[in-house]
Amino acid sequence: MSTRFVAALRAVALLAAVLVGPALAHEGHDHGAASPSVSKTIAPRGEALSDAFELVAIPRDGTLTLFLDSFRTNEPVPGATIEVETPDGPKVATATTDGGYALPAPWLSRPGRHELVATVTAGEDVDVLTVAVTVPDPRAAAPGEPAPAQTVLGRVSELAHGIRERLTAKDPTLVAAVAVAFLLGVLVAALARGRRGAPAVALLAIGITLVLGTAAFAHGDEDHGAPVQGAALIGPRASGSSDLAQRLPDGSVFVPKPTQRLLVLRTTMTEQGSFRRSVELPGRIIPDPNASGVVQSSVGGRLSPPPSGVFPRLGTKVRKGDGLATVTPPVQAVDVSDMRQRQGELDQQIAIVARRVERFRKLATTGAVARTQLDDAVAELDGLHDRRAALDKIRQQPETLAAPVDGVVAQATAVAGQMAAPGAMVFQIVDPNRLWVEALSFDALTAAQDATARLADGRSLKLAYQGTGLADRNQAIPVQFAVQGDASGLRVGQFVTVLAGTDTEQSGLALPRSAVVRTGNGQDVVYEHTTAERFEARPVRVEPLDGGRVLVAEGIGPGKRVVTQGAELLDQVR
Amino acid sequence: MMLQRLTLVAGLLGATAAYAHETAGAHGGRVADAGDFHVELVTKGESVDVYVSDGRQKPVPAAGFKGTAILVVGGKPARVPLEPADGNRLTGKAAAALGASPKGAVQLTGPDGATASGKFN
Repeated sequence: MSTRFVAALRAVALLAAVLVGPALAHEGHDHGAASPSVSKTIAPRGEALSDAFELVAIPRDGTLTLFLDSFRTNEPVPGATIEVETPDGPKVATATTDGGYALPAPWLSRPGRHELVATVTAGEDVDVLTVAVTVPDPRAAAPGEPAPAQTVLGRVSELAHGIRERLTAKDPTLVAAVAVAFLLGVLVAALARGRRGAPAVALLAIGITLVLGTAAFAHGDEDHGAPVQGAALIGPRASGSSDLAQRLPDGSVFVPKPTQRLLVLRTTMTEQGSFRRSVELPGRIIPDPNASGVVQSSVGGRLSPPPSGVFPRLGTKVRKGDGLATVTPPVQAVDVSDMRQRQGELDQQIAIVARRVERFRKLATTGAVARTQLDDAVAELDGLHDRRAALDKIRQQPETLAAPVDGVVAQATAVAGQMAAPGAMVFQIVDPNRLWVEALSFDALTAAQDATARLADGRSLKLAYQGTGLADRNQAIPVQFAVQGDASGLRVGQFVTVLAGTDTEQSGLALPRSAVVRTGNGQDVVYEHTTAERFEARPVRVEPLDGGRVLVAEGIGPGKRVVTQGAELLDQVR
Repeated sequence: MMLQRLTLVAGLLGATAAYAHETAGAHGGRVADAGDFHVELVTKGESVDVYVSDGRQKPVPAAGFKGTAILVVGGKPARVPLEPADGNRLTGKAAAALGASPKGAVQLTGPDGATASGKFN
């Protein structure tokens, strides 16, 4: 019974030991060796995470290179102070040109596990991070002692491999060993039936088996020479060379920090939320009717530049009331003769009345002419002068065409000397910051909220609902939205895709459209940032949400870091 | 016999689950893993005490160890050198009073020169 109890104790102890591992693992690091380097071609490195930062430490050639990034966004953190505890006290790492921080660390060249403490100060954020770096022994041919279990398994597989090789090679030793084993079996069977002299024969059999067996299998322990290795398993790279981004055998993508900087990889934390379903509508940019206008000539006439001397060119900024051009109505030949005649008549009357006024003035002093008669004559003369002046002026009084609104000149047809027809548009003025979008909807939108417009170049505009028409146009009704925010780079008439929210709500994780990559097999994946330099593809099911975002319905949970920028580049890493 | 075994199993499992977390240690401080060791951090006023024990919570003599505690106090890191004291205790004094449970890290340098560090959140 006591032996059983001991056995039970051992079993329990083993169970406990197995359970301790995972239980402690969530503490931050376990008691085992540091995780092995991801591949032989990659320099040893350590990493640490906190709520704010992600730190990667790479010891190489007596220098410790540190890369500090924001934990949530993966954005490099420049201008931080990183103080590393060294055997000679705390040392501050200096910023390098490639966005990292470097620290001379000759003490790190000693092989073994080094646990570093780095104090990071970036603006308001202060964090103390612990990083474990395992420097491999350069003298050791193998990159490290494999665990005992692995060794046993390795031996077994090596043995199996050896036997298979020999079978294929028809190794005489193996054949002999099998033959002898067979003979021994026959012998033992015969003896077992006979029973006489069994111990002696058995001893002999064991002796022969041992001798031949070892001869046959001694090879199993030996090094079989380097088995043919794949290109990914070449020996360690020369020191000083940089690491390369690569796809690891488990399908994840390893991207060293400097490469992440080059690819401008950015991440975001996924969050569960509920969003409104949206519909896509074809639309086009129109000018805001209250912030655009046309300049037309009311009379037909000859166009001439405004007082400034030049017509406003396309794109010129104009203010309301600015003179853009003048129109001089032409005087017809018949009108000219009419005017000449009228001028002559007026000149004649002026001469007569002027003489009369002179005469009356002399006589008025003597009292021979009434004062009132003189006043009438003077008034008549003034009237005649006015009519004469108006007749002169009408020939040189052009109409000024003024800008009706503030904006820029969107269209200009004015050429000096050109004859403008009455009602013809000479200029179009558009305020580029006040543009609208007119979309065609096949079903009536209910005061469509959260509308966005997507441009062909992938840009997205926020829209505010303005109104819906009731008149049918191509079996659809026009819906108008005002572009909110920066509308630069848009042109009137440009086609856009309007995504307008509807009343149906969906719940899921909203991610930028650029986060989702379509792989070679047609599956949509997002890349999860699992560790500092490792990204794993997660197949997802996405549904359209709006211009800039998609809704991940399944495939990834909340609280994960997902690559939102540079995911396509990540997908190209082989 | 069966009951005894079951009790044993339950007890062991309970023990592993209990000390896996960064909760109270033997001296009322917080416990974290540092390499092959467990370190317990006790801050009281300005004094910083670190107790070293091995993976099975057995005290490890502090003689020969050197240590540094870096604790964030009021948004500023405070560096506290630790010297071995009695038993498995290393002690040091901070320039200013430390809060109730400041976050930070403890780095230990063993007699063989190997470093181990534990993080306290």
